[in-house]
Amino acid sequence: MRRVFVLALLFGGMQLIRPLGSPGYGSESLLAFGFLILAAYAAGELASDAHIPKLVGYVAAGIAFGPYALKTVTAEAVADLSPVSSLAIALIAFLAGAELRWSEVRARGLAIIRILGAELLLALVAIATFLVLLRNHVSFLKGNPFAEVLAFSLVFASIAIAHSPAVTMALLSETRANGPVSRTSLGVVLISDVVIVLLLTATLAVARALVPPAGADMPALTIFAVAWEVIGAAIVGVVLGALTSLYLRFIRRELFLFAMLVAFFGSEIAGLLRVEPLLALIVAGFVTENFSRPEHAAAMREAMERAAAPVFVVFFALAGAAIALPDLASLWFMVLPLAVVRSGAMWAGCRIGIRWSGLAPEEHGVLREHLWAGLIPQAGVAIGLATVVARTYPSRGGQIQALFLALVAVNQLVGPILYRRALVNSGEVPGPAATPAPLPTPDSA
Amino acid sequence: MVAWAVVTASLALLLAVAAGYLAAHVAFDWLARRYLIVSGAEYLVLGILLGPQVSGLLSETVISNLAPVVTLALGWTGMIVGAQLELRELIMRPAREFRIAFAESSMTFLVVAALEFVALRSPLSDTSAGALIAAVATGAMAVASSGVGIALVADVVGASARVLDQLRMSARIDVVVAIVIFGLMLCVHHAPAPTSRPLTTTEWAVVCAALGVVGGTLFHIFLGDTPDRDRLFVALVGGIVTVTGAAAYLRLSPLLAALFFGVVLVNTTARPAALLETLTRVERPFYFVLLIFGGATWVPSHRSLIAPVLLFLLARAASKIGGSRLAARMNGALGELGEHWGRGLLGQGRIAIAIGLSYVYQEDLPYQNLVFTIAIASMLVTEFLSARIARAAVTAHLDHGEA
Repeated sequence: MRRVFVLALLFGGMQLIRPLGSPGYGSESLLAFGFLILAAYAAGELASDAHIPKLVGYVAAGIAFGPYALKTVTAEAVADLSPVSSLAIALIAFLAGAELRWSEVRARGLAIIRILGAELLLALVAIATFLVLLRNHVSFLKGNPFAEVLAFSLVFASIAIAHSPAVTMALLSETRANGPVSRTSLGVVLISDVVIVLLLTATLAVARALVPPAGADMPALTIFAVAWEVIGAAIVGVVLGALTSLYLRFIRRELFLFAMLVAFFGSEIAGLLRVEPLLALIVAGFVTENFSRPEHAAAMREAMERAAAPVFVVFFALAGAAIALPDLASLWFMVLPLAVVRSGAMWAGCRIGIRWSGLAPEEHGVLREHLWAGLIPQAGVAIGLATVVARTYPSRGGQIQALFLALVAVNQLVGPILYRRALVNSGEVPGPAATPAPLPTPDSA
Repeated sequence: MVAWAVVTASLALLLAVAAGYLAAHVAFDWLARRYLIVSGAEYLVLGILLGPQVSGLLSETVISNLAPVVTLALGWTGMIVGAQLELRELIMRPAREFRIAFAESSMTFLVVAALEFVALRSPLSDTSAGALIAAVATGAMAVASSGVGIALVADVVGASARVLDQLRMSARIDVVVAIVIFGLMLCVHHAPAPTSRPLTTTEWAVVCAALGVVGGTLFHIFLGDTPDRDRLFVALVGGIVTVTGAAAYLRLSPLLAALFFGVVLVNTTARPAALLETLTRVERPFYFVLLIFGGATWVPSHRSLIAPVLLFLLARAASKIGGSRLAARMNGALGELGEHWGRGLLGQGRIAIAIGLSYVYQEDLPYQNLVFTIAIASMLVTEFLSARIARAAVTAHLDHGEA
């Protein structure tokens, strides 16, 4: 009741303030930022009370108060707050990297790559096949030669199979889950982002060869550019992580400010050098975690988590505010089957991958049953890749982007619920979060 | 090319903040203790050097894009001032300390505002109203005193004399009076709201106070009874960003609205220590942002500025010293405090810069460059040596008392 009152008070306050003021010096975006922190946080707690992940509440608040529903937060304010999203992604990536221990990478790395390979390949084939079969109902495929249909189906599929490190990290942080499902799902989603960048480069190259883009505003995606994006990111990450470790060893002061600086700095440097920022920060987090004293690394992680708390709330609320409800409404007949095909393929891919993984047999059962759910959420880097496609093919790419964002909207709302349920049911969530009555799993349903 | 330049500027800013932050820890903390030098003015100079007027490393676009962060720094500054007004502690202080502090700040305001009004009205002003607004703003800035130098003297000298108590109290009250005067001035001179009937001055003042009070109430409802520090931080950040953003959106003073917010918080929370600890943990980054961007935002006045700036510096020094002596005499405390105790209030800290920046951010106010130049000049001249001046005032009186 208290949370509903907070939301009502905030909404009422915004309605009173709006007609009395005027934007200037970014005041509107500042107001929207503060409003989203409080409103989304309150919505997240409401969701938590209903045994739904908090971040679904954050996203729901973004949808409700965003430019397509109540319009409390305008489209301009959402655009102005995009640096918050960049910062959030940087913090998430660093924290995700810091979750990886070298010993665990050695022990589980090969298994993760096998699982990832199986599920991505199966999902890619399943989504592309689905689109080819329904090509007469898909706006960007209708009436085209089969080769083009195949190429653009693969382009779409290569971004549609992306996962979300942001959601995975946020849920692991919220539930404090620890175990085979959480560790394996984190490893898979972290590596998948790199694979998907490479995959899109390949499929887009095929599409460009078949249908050269006419006068599009698009930098060439050469193999060298992609290689630099990955290798350069690793170099930047190692340097940044080493500098962070040195700071932790010799100075160790004002870690809160330092954590923010590392995230900002890493993000800016990656942008400047045109390397993949997510990968650079993941590597930086990994190097910091594994090459610092445990107590120093823990202090840094804690400072970063604290700095990230309000940023995450706004990041997911902004993701919700960006969901175009009209597009979602008009594409639902295509989006819902697509989401089902994607989820089914990931479920099957995980089972195959786990069989090949070489992991201890006692882990197979729990992973087979629950791992797939951690791969359903979508956001982050994939949205950026969809923008690349839209810029390459302004007309057709725009249609691909609209369909993809509608798919993301569904996966962003349903995915976290499935993942949280999987973590709870696999017994990896400590304390009260594990108490909700288990819901039926897909296997048992 | 443009994107490259902007990114480079952002990186330069990050490096500047990082270097400044490390310098503050490694060098200036030591310098402050060893030589009684107050850190702060150097960040202002750094901002001027990075800004469009000198190197152009921070372009006007970058400065404009980061304006919300600076506005938030204004709000955070106001909230920290408000959070120091804990009634349970204030009511323990003798009433005479308040009388002396208010008398000194009132006299400083009246003298400086009156002299600046005369100076601006005759050679520079097109209308008396414009001169009056600028004069009130400069008067408010003149009232503000930095407590940093006084705190440093208290730490280093270790004296717990009555004069130090009065200096601490006066610095605290000066800052509050300065923020309130400036905030009320914005309520008086307020551009009409775009889509509603014009609100009166009283209504704007009520709105400004209500932002802080409602924000404080919301904070408590939001926070509930939990002792969770992460939740406290989110509630605090959400509250201050909302209050500051709302005040800026309504063209009111973020400093004043946030001050009300801080007062409500510190006097209603069951855990004021945790609140203050959370507040001060983020204080330093915002302090850097305020000063560096304050310096970068500075634009030289097109009008003759030497006379008003010099007049401000002289009038402020005279009214601080004279006003404090008069206030002490009126309250029968001259013997205890000494004739020159007001010198300890000469340091002009971040509040003057905050008021100057708030003035610049109000697009329709006159003499913006001049008012902000006065704020910067005053801080550059006084802040660096404020601790030494304060120590001179304190030790002179102690020596005199002992003699």
